Amino acid sequence: MNPPTRKAPSPVAFIVIAVLVGVHVLAWQGTGFSPGALVEGWRGMADFLDQAFPPDLGVLGDSLDAAVITLYIGLLGTTFSIPFALLLGVLASRVTTPNSWTYQIARSILSVLRSVPDVVFALIFVTAVGLGPFAGVLALVFHNTGVMGKLWAEAMEETDPGPREALRVAGASGAQTAVNAVLPAVLPQMVGLLLYRFDVNVRSSLVLGLVGAGGIGFLINQSIKLFRFDQMVTHIIVVVIVVVLVDQFSAYVRRKLAT
Amino acid sequence: MGIQITGLRKSFAGKQVLAGVDLTVAPGEFVAVLGANGSGKSTVLRCAVGLQRPDSGTVDIDGGAAMVFQQIHLVGRRSALDNVCSGALGRLKLRQSLVFSRDIRREAMDCLDRVGLADRAGDRAGRLSGGQQQRVAIARALCQRAKVILADEPVSALDPSAAEQVVSLLASLAEEGLAVLAVLHQPELAQRFAHRIVGLNQGKVAFETTAAAMDTQAVNSLYEGAR
Ligand SMILES: Nc1ncnc2c1ncn2[C@@H]1O[C@H](COP(=O)(O)OP(=O)(O)O)[C@@H](O)[C@H]1O
Ligand SMILES: [Mg+2]
Repeated sequence: MNPPTRKAPSPVAFIVIAVLVGVHVLAWQGTGFSPGALVEGWRGMADFLDQAFPPDLGVLGDSLDAAVITLYIGLLGTTFSIPFALLLGVLASRVTTPNSWTYQIARSILSVLRSVPDVVFALIFVTAVGLGPFAGVLALVFHNTGVMGKLWAEAMEETDPGPREALRVAGASGAQTAVNAVLPAVLPQMVGLLLYRFDVNVRSSLVLGLVGAGGIGFLINQSIKLFRFDQMVTHIIVVVIVVVLVDQFSAYVRRKLAT
Repeated sequence: MGIQITGLRKSFAGKQVLAGVDLTVAPGEFVAVLGANGSGKSTVLRCAVGLQRPDSGTVDIDGGAAMVFQQIHLVGRRSALDNVCSGALGRLKLRQSLVFSRDIRREAMDCLDRVGLADRAGDRAGRLSGGQQQRVAIARALCQRAKVILADEPVSALDPSAAEQVVSLLASLAEEGLAVLAVLHQPELAQRFAHRIVGLNQGKVAFETTAAAMDTQAVNSLYEGAR
């Protein structure tokens, strides 16, 4: 039997491809993309590597202290956002929200919090509470509330509607149903998402440090400003180890939860 | 008075599902509903408890109605006792429904005892067998203090011995004075345990009979009509 003959590509396909190519050319120019500059700049790279190695392990103690601060920022940024994410998540989930007004407002708040990057929040809070880890914690609480609230709301919407219906017949209100049917059922997924966010937030708090919000990111920033690339490499090694450990920990706990 | 349903009509998207259903169950009575898939049995029950709004007709319920489902609908991760307590939510304030009070827990224990599962109160509902879960769901209905129990195919997902145990439990609750209306798919069980049997066919009551006078021919025709 003959397979169906292939259709000739439509003119629309050509237009789409032409537009995509055009956008890439503009992007290439707009970002000053230049492989030549990278090749010509090899000397600068070589200088940099020469200064960076061997790493200065003398700052290892400072580095570890700061790494602990970074972990603390990620931790508090995650845990302090729990009550806000829970409240907004319940209000922004179609199956637990009391009415469509509340639903729309809660969803809007979450999407604003989510779309402002944590680095931008950090810059704002640095001006308010000064340089340091506290600004980082505040930044993460705000941004993470937006992300985690949304993820939790979606997890709630995916729960089995059966128990909700059963409690509604028993005369339970929406809030009572949320507490007694939805939250108990969705708790493992919520904890899994919480751990995932902790993992992400520890990594974010490194970047927040670069803009002055404390932790090891701040040390990396300092060492770049002082041209102490050998110290910077020590910090980066510590960062890689912390990130891998947190990632493993969170993956391990999530695996345990799934079984 | 139990439950009195009169002239219930319901259409979905222009398709008539209930064409005027009349049904009463008195306190102390166990009525079984038989009927092919799609004959409108669930719709009758769902309209009766307000999960669906009928196009016309009236439902009078004395003392509240509780519903028991084929898919049981317990929260599997919570204990049997907590699931039973949640039947009481309708008479609790929100702050009383975060952690159930001693009184509610005691009442729920009594309900579990009535279904013979007091010893499993602390077990996660999801860990229990299907028959045990359905009995927990019945205990939840009891904890609602409803005088009417509507059960939509409560034993269709259970093995024969668990099914018999659950139907016999429903019958004994009727003995104790509740009005029980149960959709069943096993005419033998209906005949053994129910007082009256109602045959539903294409959204209409095709026959209504005492269990003793049940006509096998009439029952078979319910299922043939649908083919
Ligand atoms: N929510 C609904 N929307 C549209 N059609 C429905 C809905 N619920 C039930 N129906 C239709 O109504 C008819 C009767 O359904 P149902 O009452 O569930 O029958 P039974 O419980 O006897 O099997 C079926 O044809 C079904 O497809
Ligand atoms: Mg049905």
